[in-house]
Amino acid sequence: MREKQLSDANLDSFLDRLRGMGEVYAPIRDPAGDVVLAEATPGKSIVLEYSNFPQSAKPFFLPQTQTLLGFRDGRAEDPSLPDRETFLFGVRPCDARALLALDKVFLDGDLNDPYYARLRAKTAVIALACARPMVSCFCTSVGGGPADPAGADLLAVRLEADLLLTAQTPRGEELLSSAADLFTDATPAAVKETAEQIHAAEEQIAPVQVSGSAQRLRDAYSSPLWETASQKCLGCGTCSFLCPTCHCFDMADEVRSGAGRRIRTWDCCAYPLFTLHASGHNPRPTPKERWRQRIMHKFRYAVENFDLLFCVGCGRCIRYCPVSMDLRTVLKEV
Amino acid sequence: MMTSHPIEMRLRETAEALLRDRKVNLFLGYEKAPLPFRTAPLFITAAEEVERLVWNPFCTLNLAVYLPRLFAISAGARKAKAPPPLPTVGMVVKGCDARSVAVLIQEHQAPREKLVLVGVACQGMVDRRKAERALDAHEALGAGEDMQGNVHVVAEDGTEIILPREEIITDACLECRSPTPSIHDMLLGAPVEAKDTGAARRRTSEFESKPFDGRWAHFQEALSKCIRCNACRAACPMCYCKDCLLDQTRPRWVGAGADISDVTFYHLTRAFHLAGRCTGCGACARACPMGIDTRLLMRKLSLEVEALYGYRPGEMIDATPPLSAFSMDDSQAFLTEP
Amino acid sequence: MGQTQTAQETRSAQAWEPKVVAFLCNWCSYAGADLAGVSRIQYPPNVRIVRVPCSGRINPAFLLRALQNGADAVLVSGCHPGDCHYIRGNLVARRKFALLKELLQYAGIEPERVQFTWVSASEGGRFAAIIAKVVEQVRELGPNRKLVKTP
Repeated sequence: MREKQLSDANLDSFLDRLRGMGEVYAPIRDPAGDVVLAEATPGKSIVLEYSNFPQSAKPFFLPQTQTLLGFRDGRAEDPSLPDRETFLFGVRPCDARALLALDKVFLDGDLNDPYYARLRAKTAVIALACARPMVSCFCTSVGGGPADPAGADLLAVRLEADLLLTAQTPRGEELLSSAADLFTDATPAAVKETAEQIHAAEEQIAPVQVSGSAQRLRDAYSSPLWETASQKCLGCGTCSFLCPTCHCFDMADEVRSGAGRRIRTWDCCAYPLFTLHASGHNPRPTPKERWRQRIMHKFRYAVENFDLLFCVGCGRCIRYCPVSMDLRTVLKEV
Repeated sequence: MMTSHPIEMRLRETAEALLRDRKVNLFLGYEKAPLPFRTAPLFITAAEEVERLVWNPFCTLNLAVYLPRLFAISAGARKAKAPPPLPTVGMVVKGCDARSVAVLIQEHQAPREKLVLVGVACQGMVDRRKAERALDAHEALGAGEDMQGNVHVVAEDGTEIILPREEIITDACLECRSPTPSIHDMLLGAPVEAKDTGAARRRTSEFESKPFDGRWAHFQEALSKCIRCNACRAACPMCYCKDCLLDQTRPRWVGAGADISDVTFYHLTRAFHLAGRCTGCGACARACPMGIDTRLLMRKLSLEVEALYGYRPGEMIDATPPLSAFSMDDSQAFLTEP
Repeated sequence: MGQTQTAQETRSAQAWEPKVVAFLCNWCSYAGADLAGVSRIQYPPNVRIVRVPCSGRINPAFLLRALQNGADAVLVSGCHPGDCHYIRGNLVARRKFALLKELLQYAGIEPERVQFTWVSASEGGRFAAIIAKVVEQVRELGPNRKLVKTP
């Protein structure tokens, strides 16, 4: 892996090169003051000092609303799959790592989801390492880290006045060579500074006991802790909708005057409706069963089925939960 | 401004007495949360647990949202010869919470005689988003209350920052017209006067004074971030319908996706279903993960209900809800004549 | 491809005509509209009528749905207060209508696109006059693009 350096002054030029190849999304401050991953049209100022976006990069791979097919007069029409290249700059390593989980669900084996596959193939991820994790972060406890390269095509680390970039995939290599004139080889000092920064960031993250959780959760299935832990859950859906690895969806047909479309929309296992049968029976009738399922899915079933935790430690479920549910507490209790 | 500490002590004493004397089966309050600027709802059933109860500027959540589920009787149980006894629930209520409880009582979702309401007159609670913005580049590691009732923050680099409470209390608190709980069985702390009773009216008038053509664009812009997570509805104490219109599929009134037309339909309908019922607690706006001001429409409707029918929800538990009633001389100004 | 066109395609192919969806209560307003027809009173053909048992049946979602599906305006008409066939359906509805009109206007939907009235079974002329007025107002406003859902 050759490390390359890109000076802050050349960042705009690099994004310009990418704009020549497709759509570029980068961290931009929105009118409300939040930093979000928005389209970086020329002239928009890129923000490099931020913790993380409220929403993960998931919508770029699994949109909230996605047309699966159209139909008219009794005939189905395949939707045109997106053709343009997309470049995501500034995705945090936790959000990039989440793609590994989504890949397991949508790309493995015979069950290839063509919609996801196309977006995945057409979207390049340039991750930006974290220098200052938040109190809600725990990526290091779930196999990730503030500069974990998993899921990214290029990993960038912010230094004083430049970015240190390393290619992680052939596509990443291509991106570097396509703008080779803008990069210099990274100096040994820069490489050392990067390593120190990453180490310092890792130290700031409080560990959460996650290893062995699959077995412990299996043993704790009937524990009374689920009742107390879930009592306050409102079933609001915020955790699933902001979670970078949550992927459950619902489908619906929208018809008007003989034509229509079939869409896929995000769903959430915390909703009572999620498992409601047409008969009226609900196998997960109370918040207890639903909360337990959520934790089991991420920390036990995923491990048993895919050998991968379906949690990247981004902390959004903790930060945005209106009633301060915290799965770190549950993992500790288990 | 006084600190909350004396109230916290009295709250614990009160809860302990209620639980110990079996006056309540369950006490609903707040406890410390892992992250700063927040508390978590606390359900306690034993007198020993009262030490977990807190009272501070972060007790923002409207606990009334839990009442419908605590008093829900399943269809099977309702048919039974001897339906299970309802619990007696003690809970701490602020002004907004009490208004919500009052509406729930009016709508038969919670029986008054099964509630023990420990009222606390509220100084205004902190909006965590406002607090986080006020810290700018800093991140709070811990936050507490100082002797003046302001918020004292310890940042990640050890810096100590004082955030004046007035500047970071929620929008709903700024517009609150009854910070002293309208219904309560006991009141902790001295009654508090409303800060600015005309705040909501001013905001809507200001909006209405702008050119008409800009209104739709404004709402579309505000709602464009909506991801249809339904958190606003889940956090609302008044949204307790088991079979919400907006979830129905036979017929499907509103599409499930984030199409702006469906998003607008959702918010317009929810606002209308809350006409005369929304108590302006702001739980919806605070629950929204995208930071949308979900009260844009509710605010206007509440003022209209008051102007047209002289009714403010949550102030009188004996009143008939305005949309279940009528008067022969109700306003007809909205009619079209040839 | 088939011979059928979607409603949208048909609309754009010809010059635009306002499309008004009118919800009429069965006992008064629908009968009033019927009387207008029987009496050969001319009124613009732009209205599509949906018959409901009572104005109290109106769910605001009906109006929103109509607008979503491409109606340029909606009109709701019931019995005069005091004359409701079900005694008080329109009296309860009156409050809903007042608030609904305020809400939609506040949100930026032109008040001419959401209108309410009372028409009795004997008021054929009144019905025709109101339709004519509403259609004219909407013609001046142009096609409704707010809340419209593109399939």
